[in-house]
Amino acid sequence: MADQQSRHAFVLATLARGNDAEIKQFAEQLLADIDEVEVIKNRTGLVMLPMRDTVEGTAFHLGEVLVAEAHIRALGQEGYGMKTGRDLEAAMAIAVIDAAWQAGHELSTIDAFVAAQADAIAANDNERMRAVEATRVNMETF
Amino acid sequence: MAYVATRGGERAIEQSERLFKQELGTITPEKVKQVRETMPYLVDRVMGEASLYDQDVAALALAQTGGELSEAVLLLRAWRTTQPRITVAKPLEQDKQHVFRRISAAFKDIPGGQLLGPSLDYAHRLLATEVLAGEDHTPKPVEAAEKAAPSHQPSVSAWLSSQGLVDDAEHDDTAPDDIPDLTREPLLFPAKRAHRLQSLARADSGGVLALGYSAMRGYGQAHPTVSELRLAEVDIEVQHPCGTSFSAGRVKVSQAEVISKAKGERLDRGFAATFGWNEVKCISAATLDLNADGAEKNSAVEEEFFLYHTEGVESSGFCIHFKLPHYVTFQSSLDAMRDAKAKKQTPQMEAAE
Repeated sequence: MADQQSRHAFVLATLARGNDAEIKQFAEQLLADIDEVEVIKNRTGLVMLPMRDTVEGTAFHLGEVLVAEAHIRALGQEGYGMKTGRDLEAAMAIAVIDAAWQAGHELSTIDAFVAAQADAIAANDNERMRAVEATRVNMETF
Repeated sequence: MAYVATRGGERAIEQSERLFKQELGTITPEKVKQVRETMPYLVDRVMGEASLYDQDVAALALAQTGGELSEAVLLLRAWRTTQPRITVAKPLEQDKQHVFRRISAAFKDIPGGQLLGPSLDYAHRLLATEVLAGEDHTPKPVEAAEKAAPSHQPSVSAWLSSQGLVDDAEHDDTAPDDIPDLTREPLLFPAKRAHRLQSLARADSGGVLALGYSAMRGYGQAHPTVSELRLAEVDIEVQHPCGTSFSAGRVKVSQAEVISKAKGERLDRGFAATFGWNEVKCISAATLDLNADGAEKNSAVEEEFFLYHTEGVESSGFCIHFKLPHYVTFQSSLDAMRDAKAKKQTPQMEAAE
């Protein structure tokens, strides 16, 4: 169960940071085989982001983040997508992929698509962190 | 209270607004994109002060106001009210942040080491005037390391705690929905710590710098040293309807913890954080936090003083209201002056007669 949840989290998080154009195109392909999609929510809104301070450990609000959200019912599943920004189509595409993934519909194709997206994200993250590593400094006291 | 009715001003008011906007020209998606891409630190500053994170919307506000920061922040705070709050994310923890810059001025050998990250701290400040002469100015590329820096770093605070130099931070297990929220409840004094830190997170950068600087120069009770300064990206952790926690993407945050010399066996500390990468604001705000407890009433480092005076929308709004018609109140002052003058002159005239 925990493993299934962590795989689910991986799929949702990867799609939230993935390439929007590719995700929309992939969702379109899946939709061709999905008969009915009930849209419960597709909107922009705010997510309040709390943080814990390092001095007293107090949780406080840093501010609100604009997100796009989609909640659908398809293939007998509750498909859900949320990502930072205002792209409602991208959120809807994530929700469609999520519903299909939960239903086991085209599971191997979806897993392969998500893995490719995750690889691209990881490569970009790695490149950025290699640049950061180049700024590591060792201080000496004389 | 009295009002002056004005007639005939509608046209002038409309033309005034048109003149402001005409001088800015057409706002295009390309212009907004250019603001976002070429001025990320300005966009960060506006998002922090607006307490609303979205680079596109912040860049639009800057383009629409011609970079008039108070107006841009006001526009964003107003627009924010049109959006529903969907949820409250899971609180950010130090060891989950993706750290791009992390330095300590107090301790050179912090666990995880020091990463300068993107910074102009040690750069010559030279204006690239060749651009004005028609040449491009292309920066030298970074010579990236073979190995990537670890994405996560432990907090210096946790290390200090393990050394017994500071008190352990208590774990605040307040449910996210129950965390005090200034956007839904008033700021009362003495303020809850959650209110103080939220207010500083959305404070005007120039305001906190001015008051924080006064403390640094000696008008406060404690001189700060940066224990840890971080620029990071953090995940927005939300819940799927079925209960799965997942990241809906990342946003940029900055934070600073400052310390002062120990008065007893423990170091005194101050903390601040904000949206975007804005280290001057965080160091200044953390300095105010460091100085706040036990501060003299009405001093710049007293909580009520700095929280009220660094709220950018209220302070700029109050400032600009002074240019709006005050004819009646001012007229009453003039009437009182003239009346006093007339009364003073009457006995003199009677005496002369």
